[in-house]
Amino acid sequence: MDMLLMGLCFTFIGLAVTAMAFAASTRPKATSPKMQPELPATKVVPARFFSERVTPSIPTHIQVPIEVLLQQIENHIRLEQAAAESFVAYPNHTLLHSKTTSPFVN
Amino acid sequence: MAHELLSGFSAAEVNQVLALGSHLTVPFGGSLFRLGDRADSLFLIERGRIHLTFPMVVRGKEEDVFFEEKSAGQTVGWSAMVSPYRFTLSASAPLETEVIALPREALGAFCERSPEAGRKICLNLAVLVGQRLQLVQAMWMREMQHVVELKSANAATKG
Repeated sequence: MDMLLMGLCFTFIGLAVTAMAFAASTRPKATSPKMQPELPATKVVPARFFSERVTPSIPTHIQVPIEVLLQQIENHIRLEQAAAESFVAYPNHTLLHSKTTSPFVN
Repeated sequence: MAHELLSGFSAAEVNQVLALGSHLTVPFGGSLFRLGDRADSLFLIERGRIHLTFPMVVRGKEEDVFFEEKSAGQTVGWSAMVSPYRFTLSASAPLETEVIALPREALGAFCERSPEAGRKICLNLAVLVGQRLQLVQAMWMREMQHVVELKSANAATKG
C-alpha cells in the first residue's frame, strides 16, 4: 500500500513538472516596448478579387504650367466661339446649348 | 486685298479710302493697341494676323487671354468709330503683320464729301458690330447655361 501511494505521488509530481515545463516553453516571451522592432508604415491596399492589375495612383490636383493653362483657355474660347458661330448661323435650342469637347465644361 | 469694311466699293473708291490711311508693320509679338488706349484710328489688316485679347487674373497674375483672331481683309479697332473712343480689348500680332491705320477724322471728312461711300461704310461697320454682338450674346447665353448646370451640380452634391 505504501509503495502504491509513493508511486502515485511520484506520478503526480512528474506530471506537475511536465506541465510546468510545457507551459514555460509555450508561453509568449514578454518584451519591452523599446525592444519592439519598428515596422515600416505601409498603405492599406484594397483587396483585389478578380484582377491583379494595379490601379495607378493619380494625384488629385496637378499644377500645370501657366503656359499650358493659358493654351487650354484659348482652346476653350475658340471652341465656344465656333459653337456660338454655329448658333448664329442657324439659331435653335440644340445648337445654342451644344456641348464642346472643352475640358472646362466637361 | 478685299477689305470687309469696303465691301461694295468700286476700285476707285477703295483707293480713295486707302489713301486716307498709313501703312503700319507690327512685328512678331508686337502690340497694336492696348485696352483703355484712346481709339483714334481703326485698322484694316493687309497681311498677317491680329489677336484680340482681354486681361484675366490667372493664379494671381494678370495675363492677356485670347478672345478672337482676325486675319487679312478683316477690320480691328472699330472702337475708333464709337464713343467714348477707347479700345475695349488689346490687339497684338502673333506674326509680323501689316495694317492700314484709318484715322477717324479723315474717314469722317471723306464720308461728308462722299455721302454714298459714307453710307456704305456705315452699313459695313454695322455688320461688323452686329456680328460681334450676336457672337458675344451667344457665348454669354452658353456661359449662363454652364453656370446654371454647375450650380445645380454643386447643390445636388451638397444635398
